[in-house]
Amino acid sequence: MSEGGDDDPDFRRSAVGCLDRLYSFARSLTRSRTAAEDLVQETYVRALRAANRPTDPAGVRPWLFTILHNVWKNERRRRPPDSFYAPPDRLERIPTEAATPEEALDHDSVTVKVWRSIEALPDSYREVVLLRFSQGLTYREIAEILDCPAGTVMSRLARARALIIEAARPSREVRRVSGRH
Amino acid sequence: MTGCDAARRVLTPYVDGELVGDERRAVDDHLASCWPCRTLFAEEARLADSIRDAIPRHEPSTELRANVEALLDARRARPRAALRSLAAAAAVAVLALGTWGAQAYRARPRPVVTAPPPPFVALAVDSHLRYASGRLPLEVRSDRPDEVSRFFTGRVPFHVTLPEYPVGPGEKKAYELEGGRLVSLDNDYVAYLAYRMEGRPISLLVASEDKVKPSGRDTVRSGRLSFHIDAIAGLKVITWSDNGLTYALASDVSVEGARTCLVCHGSPTERRRIENFSPGT
Repeated sequence: MSEGGDDDPDFRRSAVGCLDRLYSFARSLTRSRTAAEDLVQETYVRALRAANRPTDPAGVRPWLFTILHNVWKNERRRRPPDSFYAPPDRLERIPTEAATPEEALDHDSVTVKVWRSIEALPDSYREVVLLRFSQGLTYREIAEILDCPAGTVMSRLARARALIIEAARPSREVRRVSGRH
Repeated sequence: MTGCDAARRVLTPYVDGELVGDERRAVDDHLASCWPCRTLFAEEARLADSIRDAIPRHEPSTELRANVEALLDARRARPRAALRSLAAAAAVAVLALGTWGAQAYRARPRPVVTAPPPPFVALAVDSHLRYASGRLPLEVRSDRPDEVSRFFTGRVPFHVTLPEYPVGPGEKKAYELEGGRLVSLDNDYVAYLAYRMEGRPISLLVASEDKVKPSGRDTVRSGRLSFHIDAIAGLKVITWSDNGLTYALASDVSVEGARTCLVCHGSPTERRRIENFSPGT
């Protein structure tokens, strides 16, 4: 981490390039469009205020996620849950490549079940699932963002998987249908 | 050659692509010759796919994208733009401050200041601009001071009690309270209050004096209070401390400086005092 200037075009490019992922993560965390937009903007405001920025473009994404997670953590600690929990956004329809309507229905019902089971996870598990499966971050990057050992990330992921399978029973259905991809 | 137990211990990191080099090759070798483990690993990979597929992808709105890009561009352009905007803002602020009642405050040439404003002042400007453009949603939306005050109880490390604006018979309120929310400053929260006066938004930040000290390019005294005044990005920002709290009032330069004081000092006596207020005294 070293000093990055305000007029650094590489930083700007990297920071803008992270917007989609930051927003998607914020939206899943907050379950609210307005709260997610606020969280993302606050993340960029803080990033711009920071004295030290990563000079390596590859370091910008985990760094921004760390800021976003810290802002979120503080918000969550300071506010009662219902102050930022809007009704969960509905499970948006996810396009499938199913060959038939029956297959599509089958797939969607599994998708909805899996998503509901992710939504029902404790926050500490839900965060690692979102960072790993939605953002594709490595265990080490997730550990840095959450400020915990990589071993903790691994154990939370393993536990989260078990809970998802349990909640989305029958697990055979999850695997059989998803196996058509 | 890795055995079944050893291979299954690294099932999750293997599927997640965390296993590399010799460790990965050892598992690959085992899977090539072990059908039950191969089936188990394949199921785990499909589960990972199911989870990945189930998480909705949310696209940021065009407005959010524009806001973020504007934030980044404004920051990049600041060193040069500040010279122009501060000079223009200073001129406008001087005009606005001329309405503070007396003529004692005389504009005098000052060097252009390019240093960034203190965090509390910057936050007041940022919050005001975001609220005015509809990008800072309120957490409590009410014109009742008691209701808005209650929202902050237990959420900020100080007590917020908003005064009622006393309205005489046939008199119209000089301002309307719109609500409030928390905004963060240095890993802590301060209170943000939104008002509207003559159709223009006014923002008031309140923080503990222990954490934040007032600051501004110009200082004027009124009684026991010192008001610090700045003009930034076309906004007038006044900060001061009183009774253990520090305030920052941000408003459009078109709102008369002294009139914004009515937000907290609306009693007839205080109103007269404001009307007679001379920044030079």
